[in-house]
Amino acid sequence: MTNATLAARPQALRSFWRRFWSRSNEKIGYLFILPSLIHIIVFLFIPLIFSFFLSFRDWTKPNFSDAPYVGLENYEFLMEDSRFWQAMSNSGYYTLLAVPLGMAISLGVAVVMNQKLRGVYFFRTLFFMPVVSSWVAVSIIWLTLLDPNVGIVNYILGGLGLPQINWLGDPRSAMPSIVLITIWKGLGFNMVIWLAGLQAIPQELYEAAAIDGANRWQKFWRVTLPLLAPTSFFLAVTGVIGSFQVFTPVYVLTKGGPLESTNTAVYHIYRRAFQEFDFGYAAAQSWILFAVIFIATIIQVVYVRRRREEIQF
Amino acid sequence: MSARLRLLLLIIAIVAISFGVVRAQDVELNVVGFVVPLEEQGTPLDEAYQAFIGGFEEAHPGVSVNALETPPEFDTQLLVDLAAGTAPDIWNQDASTISRLVDNGYVLDMRECVALVPELNLDRFFPSVLSIHQREADGPIYGLPNDFTPMVIYYSTTAFERAGVEPPQAGWTWEEFVETAKLLTLDANGNNASSPDFDPANVVQWGFRVRKWAFEWIYRVWQNGGDVIAPDGSTASGYLDSPESIEAITWLRDLVTVHQVAPTPTTLDQMIQQLGFLDRFLQGDFAMFDRGHWELVGLRSNANFTEGSFGVVGQPQNAARSTVMYASGFVIRADIPEEKKLAACQFVEAATNLEYQNTKALTGIAISANQEAAAAAVETSADPAIEAAFNAEVEFGRAPYGSVYANWPTIEERLDAMMERILAGGEVEAEVAVAVEEINRELSR
Repeated sequence: MTNATLAARPQALRSFWRRFWSRSNEKIGYLFILPSLIHIIVFLFIPLIFSFFLSFRDWTKPNFSDAPYVGLENYEFLMEDSRFWQAMSNSGYYTLLAVPLGMAISLGVAVVMNQKLRGVYFFRTLFFMPVVSSWVAVSIIWLTLLDPNVGIVNYILGGLGLPQINWLGDPRSAMPSIVLITIWKGLGFNMVIWLAGLQAIPQELYEAAAIDGANRWQKFWRVTLPLLAPTSFFLAVTGVIGSFQVFTPVYVLTKGGPLESTNTAVYHIYRRAFQEFDFGYAAAQSWILFAVIFIATIIQVVYVRRRREEIQF
Repeated sequence: MSARLRLLLLIIAIVAISFGVVRAQDVELNVVGFVVPLEEQGTPLDEAYQAFIGGFEEAHPGVSVNALETPPEFDTQLLVDLAAGTAPDIWNQDASTISRLVDNGYVLDMRECVALVPELNLDRFFPSVLSIHQREADGPIYGLPNDFTPMVIYYSTTAFERAGVEPPQAGWTWEEFVETAKLLTLDANGNNASSPDFDPANVVQWGFRVRKWAFEWIYRVWQNGGDVIAPDGSTASGYLDSPESIEAITWLRDLVTVHQVAPTPTTLDQMIQQLGFLDRFLQGDFAMFDRGHWELVGLRSNANFTEGSFGVVGQPQNAARSTVMYASGFVIRADIPEEKKLAACQFVEAATNLEYQNTKALTGIAISANQEAAAAAVETSADPAIEAAFNAEVEFGRAPYGSVYANWPTIEERLDAMMERILAGGEVEAEVAVAVEEINRELSR
C-alpha cells in the first residue's frame, strides 16, 4: 500500500461524512431509527452473539469467568438428550397443528370480513382485540374457561350432552387446547394480513372469471387463493417461526405437563437455563432450535420458488 | 470577621456535622427476609419484623438496616445479583438450594461470626439442623439456621372418626400404614378398601394422597433402606435402581394402583380444582397426606378449620425410620466489606437468639432452629401435641440433597418426571431405568 493511498483514506472518509451530513433527509432518517438501532444492537445482536459463544462453554456458575470452554461438548450431549428432542417434537406437533389450522380459520374469517356487511368494522376490531391483549392475562382467563369442573367450556359440553374433558390435565388434550388458544389469540393478526391480500386482488379478475361462468367457489379456488400466495407464504413463514418459539401459554397453563406433553422447546430451554442454571447447555439448545427454524424456513422458501417457477412455465 | 469568612465557617461547620452524622450511620445492612408481602402488611408477623429491625438499630447505633422485599424467583435473582456485586448483605436462604452458592464461594463461613460475636453460641441450634449447613462435621458453616421442618403425616380426625379408626401413633410401620389407609378409604356405600364390596369407582373418602414431587416421597426410599444417588453424588446406578429403592417406589405406586387408597393424579387434579385440597382434607375427603410445618398456617386459617380437626404423626417406618428436613438459614455474602462484617454478624446473632425467635414463633410457618425457642413454642402452641409430634421427628431427619449437590434441581426434575410416568401407569423398573440413565448422563457432565 503506497503512502499516497494511506493519505487518501482520511480524505475519503471525511468526504463520505461531508456528503452524508449534507443530505439532510438521510440524516433525519438515520436519527429517527437510531433509538431502535441501539435497542436492537444492545438487546438482540449482542445477546445473540454472546449466546453463540456461550454454547461452547460450561456456564453453570454465575460468573462468566467460571465458564470453561468445552468445545462441542454441549452439542454432543444434546444429540443424545431424549428429553430435548421430545420437546422439539412437541414443538413440531404444535406447529403442525397451529399454523395450518390458524391460517385456514383466519382466511375464512377474513373472507367474511371482506364483505360489505353491516358492522363489519366492529367485528374486525373484535377479532383483533385478543392480539393486543396480554398473553398472560388471556392464558389465565382460558385457564378458568377450561377448568374441568367449573369451566364454562365443560359446562356447555355438559349442556349438550357431550362428555366432559380435562382439557389441560389430560396428555391427549393439553396440546390441542394450547393450539386452540393460540389460534384464537392470533386470529386477528392473520385476518388483517389476509384482508390486505384480499383487497389487493383486482376486481377485474373476478369480473373476467364471472364472464367465463365461474361460480363463487371456483372464483375463490382459481382466483383468490393463487393470488394470495405471497400472503400465505408470509403467514406460513412467520407462523412456523412463532410456533416453534411458543412459551407463555405453556408457562402459564401447563408448565410443560401433563407427562411432558406440552413441554415445548423454548419452555424446555427456559427450564434448563433459569431453573437448573445450565446456561451453556441451554444456549446450545437455543442454537439447535434456531437451526431447525432456519431449515424449516429455507424449505418453505425453496418450495414457494419452485411452485412459482412451475406456474410461470 | 467579614461576612464572607463567617459564611465560609458556617459551610465548613455544616459539612463537618453532616460528615459526622454520615459517619455515625455509615454501616447500612441490606437484608432480605424481613419484609412481608403487600397483602400481609399490618399482620403480627409484619409488626414482629419491624419491631426486630427497630430494636436492632436502637441497640446498635451507627448501623441502619435496609430491609428489602424478597424478589420473585429469588434463587435466580440472587445468583445474578451475586455475580453483579449487587446482592444483599444478609438473606434468609432455603437450605435446599444453598449448595450452588456454597460451590461458588458466595457465602461466608459463619465461624468467622462466631469468632467476632461472643454471644453467638452454636449450642442454641438443633445439632441436626446446624449440620444441614455444613458439608462436614467441624467444617465451614454456610449460614446459621433460622427455622426448619421435618416432613410428617397430617391426618384428618373427621376422616378417622367417620371410618371408626384410631389415629396412628409414632413409630408405626408401612404395613400398619397401608392397613390404616385401606380402612380410611370409603366408597359411597360406606365400604372400605379392605372390603370385597368396595367400589373404587365411587370413592368419597381417600386414605392418602400421592403426588409426583420427589420432595414428598424421597424419604420413602430412605425408609426402605434405599437411596436415589450415591453419597458422593457420582451416580444413580446401584441406588435408584437398587432392590430397596424399586420396592419403595413400587410400594408408593401400589397405594394408587393396587390398594386404591390414593387417587390417580388425574382424579386428584379434578378434585382439587373443584375445591381446594386443604378444604377437602378438613372436611374429611382425604384422611392423610405428607407435608411440613408450613401447612399448619394454611390449615388454621382455613374456613373449615376447628380445633382438633387434624393431627400430625411421624413417618411410618420400614427398614429405617426416616424423613427429610427442610430448613432455612441466615446467610452473609462472602465478599461483605470488612466494615460491615461485625454488624452483619451481630444481626444474624440477634435474628437467631431466643428473644427474636420467640417473637417469630407466632407465624407457625416452621419450627425455630433455636432449641429453647422451639421448646417454648411447644408450650405456648395452640396444639402442643402437634408441635411435639414435629419435634419428635427431628432426630430422624436427613438433610435435603439440594443442600449438598448443586445440580440437584436437575436430578429432582428427572425424579418428578419418573414418578409422574409411574403414577400414570408406567412400569416401575422400566421408568426407573430411564431415570437412572437420564440422571447419570447429567451427573457425567
